[in-house]
Amino acid sequence: MAEEHHSLTRLAWLFIVAALLGGCSLLASQPAPPSSPVPAPPAPGSLPASVPPPSVPAPKPPQPSRENRLSPATRSLVAQARTQMSSGDLDGASSTLDRALRIEPNNPLLWIELGRLRLGESDAHQAEVCGRKALALASGDQGTQSQARRLLADALRAQRRNQEAQEVESQPFVH
Amino acid sequence: MARARARRWRLLLILAFLALTVAATAWVVHLDRVVTREFQGRHWSVPARVFAAALDLYVGAPVTGDRLEEELRRLHYRRGDPAAGPGVYQRRGGSFDLHARRVRFIDELREPMRVSISADGSAITGLRRADGTDLPVFRLDPPVIGSVFPIHGEDRLVLAPADVPPLLRSGIKLIEDRRFDEHHGVDAYGVLRALWANVRAGRVVQGGSTLTQQLVKNYFLSDEQSLARKATEAVMALRLEAHFSKQEILVAYLNEVYLGQDGARAIHGFGLGSEYYFAKPLAELDPDELALLIGLVKGPSYYDPRKHPDRASTRRNLVLQEFAAAHLIDSATAQHAAARPLGLRPPGGSYVPAYLDLVRRHLKRDYAEADLAAAGLAVYTSLDPRAQAAAEHALTVNLKRLDAASRVRGASLEGAVIVAEPNSGDVVAVVGGRDVGADNFNRALDARRPIGSLVKPAVYLTALETGRYHAATLIEDAPIELKLGNGSIWTPQNFEHKSYGQVPMARALAESMNLATVRLGLDIGLPRVADTLQRLGLETRPTLNPSLLLGTVEMTPLEVMQVYTSLANGGFRARLRAVHAVLDEHGRPLKSFKVQVEEAAPPSAVYQLDRMLTLVTTRGTGRDASARLPRGTVVAGKTGTSSDTRDSWFAGFTGSYVAVVWVGYDDNRATGLTGATGALPVWADTLARLKSASFEPVPPELVEDRWIGFGDGLETTPACSADAVVVAVPKDTVLPAKPGCNASPPGNSSPPGTVSDKIKAWLKNITH
Repeated sequence: MAEEHHSLTRLAWLFIVAALLGGCSLLASQPAPPSSPVPAPPAPGSLPASVPPPSVPAPKPPQPSRENRLSPATRSLVAQARTQMSSGDLDGASSTLDRALRIEPNNPLLWIELGRLRLGESDAHQAEVCGRKALALASGDQGTQSQARRLLADALRAQRRNQEAQEVESQPFVH
Repeated sequence: MARARARRWRLLLILAFLALTVAATAWVVHLDRVVTREFQGRHWSVPARVFAAALDLYVGAPVTGDRLEEELRRLHYRRGDPAAGPGVYQRRGGSFDLHARRVRFIDELREPMRVSISADGSAITGLRRADGTDLPVFRLDPPVIGSVFPIHGEDRLVLAPADVPPLLRSGIKLIEDRRFDEHHGVDAYGVLRALWANVRAGRVVQGGSTLTQQLVKNYFLSDEQSLARKATEAVMALRLEAHFSKQEILVAYLNEVYLGQDGARAIHGFGLGSEYYFAKPLAELDPDELALLIGLVKGPSYYDPRKHPDRASTRRNLVLQEFAAAHLIDSATAQHAAARPLGLRPPGGSYVPAYLDLVRRHLKRDYAEADLAAAGLAVYTSLDPRAQAAAEHALTVNLKRLDAASRVRGASLEGAVIVAEPNSGDVVAVVGGRDVGADNFNRALDARRPIGSLVKPAVYLTALETGRYHAATLIEDAPIELKLGNGSIWTPQNFEHKSYGQVPMARALAESMNLATVRLGLDIGLPRVADTLQRLGLETRPTLNPSLLLGTVEMTPLEVMQVYTSLANGGFRARLRAVHAVLDEHGRPLKSFKVQVEEAAPPSAVYQLDRMLTLVTTRGTGRDASARLPRGTVVAGKTGTSSDTRDSWFAGFTGSYVAVVWVGYDDNRATGLTGATGALPVWADTLARLKSASFEPVPPELVEDRWIGFGDGLETTPACSADAVVVAVPKDTVLPAKPGCNASPPGNSSPPGTVSDKIKAWLKNITH
């Protein structure tokens, strides 16, 4: 209701000017705002977002990449969970991944791992949600995103949602 | 005639005697059966033991040397030579050499092992096995936090025969039943001696009951003092001795005996007694501590060491003298022990009734009460004792302060705190009232109150989801009159009874403007707001009344927690979880509760909202939070105040935890407190003690940071406007710029995109 609508032409004009000037003015160094909870901005030099048609395979990342990694502690827990999983101890694997998530709750790699376990438990729905959560957490990390997308696609296929699975695999980012 | 009559009498007598014998035999047989059946059954009955989460150690874990030692003490590890055996550690500065005990976890039984740990003033810096091999992660024992005991409140930690220290074994016999090893359940000599002593004294000074009789009395009989009961007790005691060994009876006695009262919880047995009074396992008690417990048996309330320390101390020293006289300890030891203080652990802090209540409710879905009380289950939970202690401390200290400052006399403020980990939904702390050790009204779970402005994030999230609004969108904060369904007129007010005109959405939320929120909510529609609340975790659909927009909906702190967990978790709703797994008495897994996550709201809309919620704690109604938190810690949250200040709420999150606090009176009277003055300090103090990390969500790819004027919503720069704040808006959102300011995305030097992209996006925006 209270949204302000400025005159179309004025905005367009401002916009074009801003965009043209942007090339230099935006590159001028600007200290990060102290109140911003966002981590230090990634390195400059990346290309702007351009959404390709869905049929085209995933293009270059829209943001400079950040790479998610496991710490030695969580890596060893993931290894342990995999061993438990392969010996059929799914509950054990689950509680081992619980421990890992307690250490790094925001690591998308762990959510991918948990999603894979859920698939192994035939809980495709939970696997799907883990995939979506991993995808959200992997924002800016192309490698992890494509792993998350693969998990998500597998989880969707397990629910016979093949069409959605295909879309997920062909899109650069979902959400 | 006379002979015949005599014969008849004799016959009658014989018959009567026979009948009596049959009746007596039947009675004895009956008691015998009761004794064997009940004793056998209950002999092994153990309330479900509840464990807190095991602390994982790894290089980088935020555990200092002192904290590690505190954890080891909590787990009853002793300082000493670790080579001596499990349960011992050695500390040299920041280096620990630990001999870990055999311990059962949810997924494994770990044998004792030696570990070297080093820690500095902020974190674990090294972790190895004693043989030098690599150890990436090592978990400490999960601490026991209590048990799920039956309705009548008996709690105990059951001892096995091997757990009974020799001094307790001989000491209890010495004080309570000297001839225990000789008699068969009833001690005729003891009864005579007691009788003689009583006659000489002219009053009851001694009881002649054996340990067996005391056990029978506790197990099967009431407190009634009658001859019939005494007879029953005696017969049962004899039968018990006929069926069970002295050792079994003694151990059962040590587990059964009543040793004190902790609110609604009755402390039974020496195992729990040791925990309750000394916070140590029985095996680690010194002679003076054992003597105190043994002395308590005679009268747990009369000799209550917390209420009557002088009586308890006199009684303890008398027991110590007896020990020395019977050569159980030498007299030097006795003298030394008698000189020591009582050594009680400080009250509170170890028993967490409100959390156990949540555990009990959680388990009731799957288990019968009787199984929980007696089947010897082991319940593994997500409780974090440190978070629990932080929440308890923050609540009690702040309520005391607020009470002192309050003009309301004759009533004390109450409160509740819940802390959870948002990604997994793990509940790590629950405080149900200011008397944290009391097992009564659990406000965290049962106080259902209007949530006030805590509802607003749901309104703003719904608006963001429509795509028609973003943080800089101007909305109108102006008086409004609404005709309600019942014909009455509703005229909501701002807290300060004034209105602010056109304000950016971020400011309206940060300053909790009622009029702007009502207008916004009506524009997007009540049903959508209600939908959002339900998606976020509210289980029952709220009534669709416009006052819903100002939080007339009533929720418990636990329900609020579920909703805010979804906001803290990027739009994913993790089902709140207290219990991780239940194991049977042999350590076999019975049931596990896994992390369960559902999509609740689009991550990018939640991200935009969450960034607005960080403005609440820096610029808005919650700005006092910053002063109580470590400098530079970014947190997101919302204040809530119900009408007439009956309820003061704060709900919010850091990078590691989400916490909800309610403060108010039980009788619902006005507190004079807002969410910022009542609940917020409790919230901030809790999280400050936990030293939790800043809230730094991963920015979604379709959203970017921009500087806007907090007052006017125009795009600006910090250099250009003193009130510049950062908000997150959808990429390529067209923001009207402050004239004369060279606006640019904050801290971001990526190019703005091609002109055609921008125009496409902009066209998309205005065609919505």
